[in-house]
Amino acid sequence: MNAAEIYKLSRLAIFWLSVTFGAVWVACWGVGVFIPSLITGKMPFLLQVDNPSTTVVFIADLLRSLTPILSLLVFIPINAMFMVLFERRSLALFTVRMGPNRHGFDGLAQTAADAVKLLFKEDITPRGADAFMFTLAPIIFFAPSIFGALPLLAAVTNNHDLFKVANLPTGIFYILAAASIPVVALVMAGWASNNKYSLVGGLRSAAQAISYEIPLVLSLVTMCLLAGTLDVVEIVEQQKGGILNWNILGGGALSGYDKLAPYWLNLVDTSFDTSAMFGQFYPVPWLSSIMAFVLVICTVLLFGLYLTGACAEINRIPFDLPEAESELVSGYNTEYSGIKFAIFFLAEFTNLFVVSSIATVMFLGGGDNPIPKWILDRLPLEPISNALGSLLSPLIKDLMFIDPATFWAAFWVIVKVYSIVFFAILVRGTLPRFRIDQLMDFGWKRLIPLALILFVVVVFARTWVVCHG
Amino acid sequence: MANLLDRAVESFKRVGEGLKTVFMHSFREPTTQEYPEKIQDLAPHFRGRLALAVNPDTGDHLCISCRQCERVCPDKCIEITAHKSPETNKLELIDFKIDHGLCMFCGLCTEVCPTTCIINTNDFEMADYSRESLIYDIKRLTLTQDESTYYFDKKELPRPKPKAAAKPAAAAGAAGAAAKSAAAGGDAAAKAAAAKAAAAKAAAAKAAAAKAAAAKTDDGETKAEPKAESKSEEKAAEPKADAEAAKKDVVEAKTEDITAEPKADAEAAKKDVVEAKTEDKAAEAPEKDAKKDVKEAKADEKDPE
Repeated sequence: MNAAEIYKLSRLAIFWLSVTFGAVWVACWGVGVFIPSLITGKMPFLLQVDNPSTTVVFIADLLRSLTPILSLLVFIPINAMFMVLFERRSLALFTVRMGPNRHGFDGLAQTAADAVKLLFKEDITPRGADAFMFTLAPIIFFAPSIFGALPLLAAVTNNHDLFKVANLPTGIFYILAAASIPVVALVMAGWASNNKYSLVGGLRSAAQAISYEIPLVLSLVTMCLLAGTLDVVEIVEQQKGGILNWNILGGGALSGYDKLAPYWLNLVDTSFDTSAMFGQFYPVPWLSSIMAFVLVICTVLLFGLYLTGACAEINRIPFDLPEAESELVSGYNTEYSGIKFAIFFLAEFTNLFVVSSIATVMFLGGGDNPIPKWILDRLPLEPISNALGSLLSPLIKDLMFIDPATFWAAFWVIVKVYSIVFFAILVRGTLPRFRIDQLMDFGWKRLIPLALILFVVVVFARTWVVCHG
Repeated sequence: MANLLDRAVESFKRVGEGLKTVFMHSFREPTTQEYPEKIQDLAPHFRGRLALAVNPDTGDHLCISCRQCERVCPDKCIEITAHKSPETNKLELIDFKIDHGLCMFCGLCTEVCPTTCIINTNDFEMADYSRESLIYDIKRLTLTQDESTYYFDKKELPRPKPKAAAKPAAAAGAAGAAAKSAAAGGDAAAKAAAAKAAAAKAAAAKAAAAKAAAAKTDDGETKAEPKAESKSEEKAAEPKADAEAAKKDVVEAKTEDITAEPKADAEAAKKDVVEAKTEDKAAEAPEKDAKKDVKEAKADEKDPE
């Protein structure tokens, strides 16, 4: 039993997660809540301004609207640092090693030191490289991970006031569009480097992206079909109320069972006639139940499909052909050094986080508590929450520092997202890299037909079951 | 179609099995050994840095200058300087040099050594800043009595037989005195060195011609002589302790012989700056030995673990 190393990994995760999200939230609160309230004179205990001038109000609004982008700018570098360390430590665990444990407190500061080192390295542009494109490539690679993640912010924070502005009615469409831009940057980087390995890496990434974006998008399209909307906030809203409502379990096909379970389990008034309600959710009794079961299988498969496609999309093992250290000397970023390499690195891990967040929002119910509501209601949680509320009331009501609903939403999102990240690391530790022909074969001959079949099955199955949409 | 499904299910099973195996690895103790904190228990026959052992019982140097190691060494990294004592007609060791930059740690020298004097220690941390500092002279090579005891026990080597019947009786009494006199000898050497250095400076102008003469003499000699002197001075302190025990033995006669030789050299005005330097080194040597002792003591502490 390797308790010591597991303890160290969990300590690392807790420490870095609190640092990351603490810093992000303090920055957001400071810029989005504290300073605007202060200058418009709405902060309790502090100076009161009766009629703030229009300029002051404008500045306050400007600060509020800048909060979403600020949160991402604070979050991305710290998160990348944490994820690198987390990945190295977890991989060490899987390969029976110890991982970085020298620098800082048991290696906690290792990646911070690495980041400083990378920033001070010489920035080399190779001879014969297209200097303009060479510089532009990392920027184009990195930028979509910032603006592509914006619509997700509202979804993962329970539609918090500060992040509402970033939401879009066609959110998932926008996210997918943004997520397909980095491929252009990879081809650019490969071409501009004046290096054959880089060029091969860039071309491979283009081929791979074309093949794997289709199943990826088809799986999300199917989920949108079940949800009946493209708005990520609405998709999260629909999935509220426990694990049975989540999209991964039939996209609402089990919601009826979730609602009826307390009656069947004699948890509430048993005199209530459940058959009418059952008929409401499942119009044709036996067929609807079968179709609900089919939908559950389909959505689970779609989740797997999404994870596979996402893995290929962000060039992670086993789909890391564009980098392929052993064949291509790390492919498109062979010639990059210093801060440009750091940006590539940053964007890669941010992309991993973004695709995990998309999976969380689209399949795992966003910030929803996995425990069904009818169990949660029966637990004696009210006194605890009341006690905590009164204890923290200055923070919650006066300073508006903590919003309990947002806090719990963010908590569950963090748990779910990093579980998916952990799974991605586990996959990286297990599976070898695909060969390029196997990759194409798998993408075109297996995943795309599977995605299409699932799409058709879902379209027919959902006519017999009342889903979210 | 059914075949395809079967294959899909089969491959999923395999991937799942792999994931499970890798995940279960996280419950195993890491095989990593954290080197500087925990040094692995090395095998007795680990071939590390070469060293010259002394007799664990008496503290006498075991080398008999037979040059077998020098001959067998494939890298030719061993260089022995010895001369035949005119009185006892036996080979007397003056200097023993091993270039660890050349050595490939084959251990052939330790196999041929008839007195198990040259041994492979367990020390492998010998990184240094220059090639020159990898050439170990007799001072750095010779182990202390404690170290020798440790390695003789560890390697289960047979203890050397006592050389002369008269010797062991004296050894018991002299052992304590020898330790003291070694320190005293170090001091004396330092003082002597200072005096000589001053003299050398004064004489430097005069001795220019003499230097040139010295330079003419072959390399082996110029290298060896200063060392021989510093060594002899240390030894000279030892016999005094023996003399107090009213025991006049062969060793003393020998050392007197050697001390006489450098004096002759001095009269020949061979003293120069190089010599002064070597004297300094000699003064430093006891410190190094002290450090070694500490290290050795640590190693002993760790050993039971």
